[in-house]
Amino acid sequence: MMECPRESEVLEAVALDRVAQMRDHLDACASCAEVAQIAAALRGDYDAAVRDAHVPSAGVVWWRATIRARADAARAVSQPITLAQGVAAAAAIGLAFGFAGVAWRSLTSGASLSEMLVRLSARSEEIATASALVLQHALPLALGLAACLVIAPVALYFALSDE
Amino acid sequence: MRDMTLSSVDRFGAGAAEADDIFQMDEDAFRLFYDRTSRSVWSFLSRMTGDPRLADDLLQETYYRFLRASGAPTDEAHRRNYLFRIAANLVHDARRRPRVDAVPMHESLERADPRQADAAGGAAARVDLSRAMARLKPRERALLWLAYAQGSSHKEIADALGLKTASIKLLLFRARRRLAALLGEGDR
Repeated sequence: MMECPRESEVLEAVALDRVAQMRDHLDACASCAEVAQIAAALRGDYDAAVRDAHVPSAGVVWWRATIRARADAARAVSQPITLAQGVAAAAAIGLAFGFAGVAWRSLTSGASLSEMLVRLSARSEEIATASALVLQHALPLALGLAACLVIAPVALYFALSDE
Repeated sequence: MRDMTLSSVDRFGAGAAEADDIFQMDEDAFRLFYDRTSRSVWSFLSRMTGDPRLADDLLQETYYRFLRASGAPTDEAHRRNYLFRIAANLVHDARRRPRVDAVPMHESLERADPRQADAAGGAAARVDLSRAMARLKPRERALLWLAYAQGSSHKEIADALGLKTASIKLLLFRARRRLAALLGEGDR
C-alpha cells in the first residue's frame, strides 16, 4: 500500500475546491491524483444529494416517532393479555371436549338414564369428594382466567388512553 | 405525509410529554440535532441503498431507533456516529429483503432533467459514479462515502461501521483502488 504524506492536503484542497493549486503535485503523484479524482467525484455527488434531499421536517419525524412509540407500547402491553386469553380459550375448549367425551361414552354404553342415575346415587359420596377436589384446584385457575378476561380490556383502555 | 386529523393532533399534544419520557432527548434538542444531520443521513441512505424512496423510509426508522436507544451517547460527535451506525445497520438489513418497487439510483439519475443535473455538476459523471458504486461491496461503498463524501475521520468511520480504527486505512485504500478501476473501465 503506497500512501503519499500529502494525501490529507489533497483532501482538504478538494473540500475547499482548490485542487488547481495542487496541480503540480497531482501530476507527479499517482496516488494523490487517484485520491483527488475519487474525492472530487464523491464530494460532488454528496453536494448534489444534500441539495436534492427532500427530508421531512423535524416536527413530522418527531410526531411519527411518538405515534409509533405509543403503538409499540400498546402492543407490548397487549401481548401477555392476548397470551392469557389464548390459554383461557384453549382451556375452555379442552374442558368442552372433555365433557363431550364423557357424555358420548355414557350414551354409547347402552345404559338407560334410570340405570345411570341409580349407579350415580350409589357412588354419590365418591363423586362429591372428587368434585370438591376439582373445585379446590380449579377455582383459583378459573378465577385467574376470569380476571385476565376482565383486566385485558381495562389494561388496553389505560394503555391507549391519552391521559 | 399522512393527513393529520384534529383528533390525531389532540392525541399528539397529549402524548408529547409522555414522548419526552420515552425518548432519549426532548423535542427541542431533537429538532436541532435533526436539522443538522438529516440531509447527510438521507444522502448516506440514498447512496448506500441506491433507492431514494427506500432512503425516505429508512430515514424515519433511523431517527426512531435513535430516539428509542437507551444507551445513546450524549455528545454531538458520538451521537452523529451512533446515528450513522444505525443507518448502516438498516441499510444492511434492507439489502437482505429487496424491494420490488426499488428504482436504482443510476436509473433515477438518468430520468432526471438533464439541465438540472448539468447544473449539479454533470449528469453523466454522476451516473458513472453511481454505477461504479453499485458494483462495489456494501462496506466499500460505505467506507468511501463516509471518508470522501462526508469527510469523516478514520475514527468516525470505525464508529459508524463497527470496525477497528486501525483497519480503516487499508480497507479504504482497497476500496478506493477498486472504485478508481471501475471508473476507469467506464471511461474506456
